[in-house]
Amino acid sequence: MNILLIEPDRLLAGTYRQALEGQGHKVIMCASAQSAIFAADTVTPDLIILELQLIDHSGIEFLYEFRSYPEWQNIPVVVQSTVPAREFDNSWDLLKNELGVAGYHYKPLTTLQTLLNSVNSFAPA
Amino acid sequence: MSRGDSVPMVSQQLLLSVAEQLKLPLLQIARQAELASLHAQPNLGLIQSTADTALRLIDGYVLGVRLNLEQSQLDVEPVSVSSILYDTGQELDAIAKAYGVSLELNIAGRYGPVMAHKQGLQTALVSLGVALIEALPATEAPQLKLQLAAYRCRYGIVAGLYSETEQLSLDALRQGRRLQGKVRQPLAQHSHTSGAGIFVADALLAAMDLKLQLTRHHGLFGLGTVLEPNNQLQLV
Repeated sequence: MNILLIEPDRLLAGTYRQALEGQGHKVIMCASAQSAIFAADTVTPDLIILELQLIDHSGIEFLYEFRSYPEWQNIPVVVQSTVPAREFDNSWDLLKNELGVAGYHYKPLTTLQTLLNSVNSFAPA
Repeated sequence: MSRGDSVPMVSQQLLLSVAEQLKLPLLQIARQAELASLHAQPNLGLIQSTADTALRLIDGYVLGVRLNLEQSQLDVEPVSVSSILYDTGQELDAIAKAYGVSLELNIAGRYGPVMAHKQGLQTALVSLGVALIEALPATEAPQLKLQLAAYRCRYGIVAGLYSETEQLSLDALRQGRRLQGKVRQPLAQHSHTSGAGIFVADALLAAMDLKLQLTRHHGLFGLGTVLEPNNQLQLV
């Protein structure tokens, strides 16, 4: 799969990329929401892994922008963030139903294996 | 100056900010170790420099607390600005390489000694440097370059870290100070983290009656502090 990895920390992004490429995925890395939109326009991703805490525009802003394009409505987005789930208590419906978030992982407690399992579950059979 | 809300305080807010920031290096180490167990050789150099970053942040915080407690009897000594910047560069070298940031030292000219708390000043610059090194790639700046530089201004000698990317505005810094420990990204235009490195530097400098300031030098944008040259020491 083509995976668009939106991760602001360069070291973590490198580690995630190595793990994903080890499973045969192609990874496009972006550190900001803006460059991620440009990257998606160049190579349509099959899946997006998104950190919400970005510089300048947040991951939520990225989602609003991304989902505003009809051709990107159905691309699954997995949020993997340092923002804990309890902070989404009031906005799960918005994230899932309106912004199409297909999965959420709390980054500090998500192992690479958990992330890989989650990513592989989106691979076409 | 009274120590009101415009002056950084070593506080629970700072502790929260440091705790939040420490998740990043610990996460990097944990995932690197897991990656090695999955299918790759461990990148021991990366693990080491990441762990060093975490230790420096803790050290900086602890020193900030100590200096604030001992403010009336700070152990100041004649300090060479050039040697402080050189040593700061040495400490930042490994983490800068890991993040792909080119670190340059620009100490043109001779600067007389300043009276300062040497460890406090260097720790503040290192803390600031780590924060800027981590943030620079996240801004997708075209040039990943950071310059450690000193220059004279009419108030004294400015020592700081400079890049081609505009860093914080004064308003953003003030707002960040108010928001530290209360929101996840108090410096949202600058850092994807809690920005603890900047606040630790801020607290350290404040404990030494110095200020974290925004500066411009040779078209570069910087964060640093103004040090007062000691004219009596220059005569010795």
